[in-house]
Amino acid sequence: MDTPSSLPVPLRYGLSIGACLLAMAITLPLRDKLDLANAVMLFLLAVFVVALRLGRGPAILAAFLSVALFDFFYVPPQLTFAVSDVYYLITFAVMLAVSLLTTGLVTNLQEEAERARRHEHQTRDLYELARNLTGAASLAQVEEAVATYLKPDSGKARLFLLNEGKQLDTSGCSELEKQLLNLAFNNKDAVSGEHDGAAPALYLPLAAPMCTRGVMLVQPAGAARSREHLLTMASLVAIAIERLHYVDVAQQTQLQMSAEKLRSSVLSALSHDLRTPLTSLVGQADTLAESSLMPEVLRDSARTLRDQSRAMNNLLTNLLDMARLQAGKVTLRREWQLFEDVISAGLQLLRPYLGNRPVSVELAPNLPLVEFDAVLLERVLCNLVENAAKYSHEDQRIEIRAFVEQQEACIAVCDRGTGFPEGKIEHLFDLFERGEAESAKPGVGLGLAICKAIMEAHGGRIDAANRPGGGACVILRLPLGNPPAFEDEAEHD
Amino acid sequence: MTETSVNILLIEDEPQIRRFVRSALEEQGWKVLEAESGQRGLIDAGTRRPDLLILDLGLPDMDGVELIRDFRAWSNAPVLILSARTDETDKIEALDAGADDYLAKPFGIGELVARVRALIRRHVRQQDPSPQTAFGDICIDFSRREVLRQGGAVHLTPIEYRLLCALVSSQGKVLTHRTLMREVWGPNHNESSHYLRIYMSRLRQKLEVDPAQPAHFLTVSGVGYRFQF
Repeated sequence: MDTPSSLPVPLRYGLSIGACLLAMAITLPLRDKLDLANAVMLFLLAVFVVALRLGRGPAILAAFLSVALFDFFYVPPQLTFAVSDVYYLITFAVMLAVSLLTTGLVTNLQEEAERARRHEHQTRDLYELARNLTGAASLAQVEEAVATYLKPDSGKARLFLLNEGKQLDTSGCSELEKQLLNLAFNNKDAVSGEHDGAAPALYLPLAAPMCTRGVMLVQPAGAARSREHLLTMASLVAIAIERLHYVDVAQQTQLQMSAEKLRSSVLSALSHDLRTPLTSLVGQADTLAESSLMPEVLRDSARTLRDQSRAMNNLLTNLLDMARLQAGKVTLRREWQLFEDVISAGLQLLRPYLGNRPVSVELAPNLPLVEFDAVLLERVLCNLVENAAKYSHEDQRIEIRAFVEQQEACIAVCDRGTGFPEGKIEHLFDLFERGEAESAKPGVGLGLAICKAIMEAHGGRIDAANRPGGGACVILRLPLGNPPAFEDEAEHD
Repeated sequence: MTETSVNILLIEDEPQIRRFVRSALEEQGWKVLEAESGQRGLIDAGTRRPDLLILDLGLPDMDGVELIRDFRAWSNAPVLILSARTDETDKIEALDAGADDYLAKPFGIGELVARVRALIRRHVRQQDPSPQTAFGDICIDFSRREVLRQGGAVHLTPIEYRLLCALVSSQGKVLTHRTLMREVWGPNHNESSHYLRIYMSRLRQKLEVDPAQPAHFLTVSGVGYRFQF
């Protein structure tokens, strides 16, 4: 159907006059045979049709013209505007009133329908946009969907999103633009402004459920898309961008998890595959070493074999630990506990290795609970005690002391051996550093690097020094923290 | 079962390890059955009724922890775990499932034999419980709730005494923190494990010759405690 506005204005008025004349042309020859009321009806029909097809202005013209024509041609005395019977004035008035009322009703209805149609159109476009955004798998596709939506306006849109630092990325914008962008972003409200000094622009914040994801610049803010619709569009875009963001996050996490899983399965496979032959080696060598059927010389060789295999196992443990620590993925199983537990457990483990070497443990009275991972700290202690044993004579005492100093819980492992070479102490804890450049002593300097990595993972420190009077001392320091409360039992026995 | 006529079932998939473990155990006069897979092991355990089970936790055909649960459903014979894994949670899981002790690979013959002997001793004692026991310079009379050190009475608080009983009655067995907390403070305890550590320390102060290097009340880092004679 043609809309009333689709024809040029003069033509519409011309048609309106034509419609009245047509009504007259039909009824005039029958003027004397028909009742005048029939002519009135036909004129009203003409006004109604005009109102329906040509709009409000032409219909009002037709209303007045119909009354005039009726008066002039039909009402006696004919061909004058004079009226013989005063009752005809009422006819005119009613005729005019009905015409105008009909006009008003019809045109209002049409305008209403037109509005509804426009609205439906907008809604359909928004729906289309939402559908496109839902399917968008990249930012480019989001931009494409927005461009399609703004096409009827030949409008343009630009997205300003958050950068890595969760700040609005306004690089390449003028000072004014930056201000407007930040205003929209910070106030989470649309801001109108000049852009490039030319077309009016609208800065729309992209407010998604979790946070504001950026600002969209739309220009020109044309008439086909109302401000409300543009705001709706902005929120749809914001949700799409947030969805893309979380898809990205989920993908990254999954990637990280599978890499992590691979690493840990490689490490545990390595651990298993290398330990199994080592276990046979240690076991078989031990069998030979303990066998009474063997001559003493061979038993001694078997003991060496066993001890070297054990040393290799320690090396393997250190290597695997270092691999885990360097990946930065060691989760500490920290619990509040006492130093004496971990010291005694470490010495228990080393007993076969230490043999008859004297070891003294000195615990300061009332040591507090300290939070640490027992297995890892035991590893540190074992490495240190082994080192002390390695670099000192068999009958020299190894001293372990636990104490509190300057808000730190400390364990010192000291020996009376050769001490650290001067000038090398600050590099002792570097990976693959060892006291003597090339020596017969086993180990690749992994031990101290692991100790340092473990202590740092605990938020603690490790220091090394030479003792006055000869020998080396390594001190572990852990922050004291706030130990949990302890309620002593009520004794009633 | 006596301490000499013992049947041991060894479930281990590595033939080299089976070989030396078997020879070391047979040297002690114990009888050894071998199984190279978990399935085979379970069947053998059912038919041969071993007095002690030695189990490799890393079997290719089934989860060792699962096997322990199955075994524990009908047997209370001691279970010793051989584990190449370093992760403590695996050990705790195996111990909570009913294993008694574990030995980390690689291990020496001496360690192996000592652990097996301790487990057998406990099992024998359980069948013939005695109200008195002694270790080091300590004598305990459970029937009179009395602890003597070099003949003199040692005062223990109720919690310390319960802890001592839990440890001594499971001698040779590794008791996880969770198990000990449950035994001493009851199943509905809400104390956290630092209570256990503090009472353990006090017990050592009262009963060990050198509490810093205990000979009987041993710590198993990250897992729990073990009492040995």
